[in-house]
Amino acid sequence: MAVLSIDTSAAVGVALVADDGSRLAARRVDERRRHAERLAPMIADVLAEAGLTRADLTAVVAGTGPAPFTGLRVGLVTARTLALALGVPVWGVPSLDAIAVEAVADLGLTPGDEVLVATDARRREVYWARYRVRAHEGPRGVPVVETVAGPDVGKADAVAAAQDPAAPGARLVVVGEGAALYPDALRSPALPADVMAGDVMAGDVMAADVMAADDAPALPDAAVLARVALQRRAAGQELPTEPLYLRRPDVQEPVRRAATTTGGA
Amino acid sequence: MAADPLVLGIETSCDETGVALVRGNELLVDATASSMDEHARFGGIIPEVASRAHLESMIPTIQRALGEADVDLSQVDAVAVTAGPGLVGPLTIGSSAAKALAVGLGKPLYGVNHVIGHACVDQLVHGPFPERVMALVVSGGHSSLLLVDDVATNVTELGSTLDDAAGEAFDKVGRLLGLPYPGGPHVDRLAREGDPTAIRFPRGLTARKDQAEHAYDFSFSGLKTAVARWVENEQDAGRPLPLADVAASFAEAVVDVLTAKTIAACRAHDVDTLVIGGGFSANSQLREKAAARCAEAGIELRIPPIRYCTDNGAMIAALGSAVVRAGVAPSSLDFGVDSSMPLTTIHV
Ligand SMILES: Nc1ncnc2c1ncn2[C@@H]1O[C@H](COP(=O)(O)OP(=O)(O)OP(=O)(O)O)[C@@H](O)[C@H]1O
Ligand SMILES: [Mg+2]
Repeated sequence: MAVLSIDTSAAVGVALVADDGSRLAARRVDERRRHAERLAPMIADVLAEAGLTRADLTAVVAGTGPAPFTGLRVGLVTARTLALALGVPVWGVPSLDAIAVEAVADLGLTPGDEVLVATDARRREVYWARYRVRAHEGPRGVPVVETVAGPDVGKADAVAAAQDPAAPGARLVVVGEGAALYPDALRSPALPADVMAGDVMAGDVMAADVMAADDAPALPDAAVLARVALQRRAAGQELPTEPLYLRRPDVQEPVRRAATTTGGA
Repeated sequence: MAADPLVLGIETSCDETGVALVRGNELLVDATASSMDEHARFGGIIPEVASRAHLESMIPTIQRALGEADVDLSQVDAVAVTAGPGLVGPLTIGSSAAKALAVGLGKPLYGVNHVIGHACVDQLVHGPFPERVMALVVSGGHSSLLLVDDVATNVTELGSTLDDAAGEAFDKVGRLLGLPYPGGPHVDRLAREGDPTAIRFPRGLTARKDQAEHAYDFSFSGLKTAVARWVENEQDAGRPLPLADVAASFAEAVVDVLTAKTIAACRAHDVDTLVIGGGFSANSQLREKAAARCAEAGIELRIPPIRYCTDNGAMIAALGSAVVRAGVAPSSLDFGVDSSMPLTTIHV
């Protein structure tokens, strides 16, 4: 009995976790374009690695973004269709949530601390959401976070400028690929000192932020995504798999009904 | 083998989400969801709008197909899907869904060519192809002449359009004449009221010099330009436009070339069955002219009903079924979609 979890919000990540949340097998490839080529074989791989068959799957989980559209949809349509084929439920969890939850565990954040997750939205923008820690170790041993702002998309400097200070005594850490991509805006020193530090010494925050490069998650971990889904389901939450696009479709360029192929092209 | 395998086909190359079930050459169900209404106001397909619609329609469309055929997914023996040509975003949704079904059901997967599907679907309507047939696939994106020895394994592209497809040319002329998008059906309707001999528009690639290299190729962009110039001249001269005559004469030029070259190809290759497929085969001028010229030449003409000529899951399930029965090896789970898949690729 296992839950299959898929995240295609950035790279391609697949994990199998047992019903108790323990990781049975996982794969991640840093493939940002050919999600559709890589994902299905990876699902077959994790099943084989764990010595399970598709009949052992009890649910499918997918990261709902926000993320570049094409890759995101690959994960969602795969999760939904696989669940249909297996006759099991499919659950969605925002991909940014998984990064925040993992950061809480990895960086030892405690209730009241806050996490700003920023990921690559291309077009010189970041997808972001801000979370407050509710529990370092919640039900089923998984941290609990609540979303206090976002998810949204915007320029890194505008996102940084819009952040309020953390509550006195609390820390605010910035994690995710967006922080590394736009260090001038999103590395701690660039944020107003009070925003970053709250009442805690700036050094703590700096330490956390420095850790961000090594210890904090940059990408969503599919196993964490599954644990969050299991925790939220146990709490009776609905987990829709609607994609978080956050942007309207680009409608500047209608195309022909189909690509014209020329002789033998 | 006890019975022919049950093949589920998925089509998402453009704006239609199609799911169908085929056993042998028997169509059990063909379910379609379209995002066309969302595109009409843009005067063209918006790939991102189509992709979003495919994601939302995929599960409901699969479920509708299964429900209407009273089939359980566990009964499906193989999954077929459009691997190209078409729009990358939409193709990616279909191929991902098909791969998930294949993994989830533990059944083989077959990525197939959309254009060849347009020809193959006729087997569901008029029965198995004879040994050798000619197929003219005319649609919004394609105008191709195919010599089909075995639809699953042996298809030769004799010619295709060098520029605009037939449907595309109709759409462009429709816009020129101020008709709503897509213009094709409107030009068709208008043309029925006009005189096809009123204006002599050029026939692309029919000159003697083109016979060597482009005997079976088409070109409609020169024709479109000629129509534009003619319309402009009349307007400059302050004369009222004989819209119906323009439409009829333009349509005549398109279908004259399409049918003349197709019949010539049938003769040259000693083929006595012609299949016409693709959305443009809804065109009444083409149907009339093809019927007349085939009758004259003693060629049997097969055109499926219009609902099987536009994009649908049936055409993909039909080709999948043919490919499975031909014993072709399944596609690998890591195949990528190909937006400009050549007609030399029947399956991936
Ligand atoms: N009665 C008609 N007369 C002329 N053109 C028509 C008629 N009906 C449809 N069309 C044209 O056919 C085209 C649609 O065909 P279809 O749906 O097969 O194209 P497509 O699927 O976009 O292209 P492809 O199959 O090459 O990917 C449009 O260009 C449309 O205007
Ligand atoms: Mg088509």
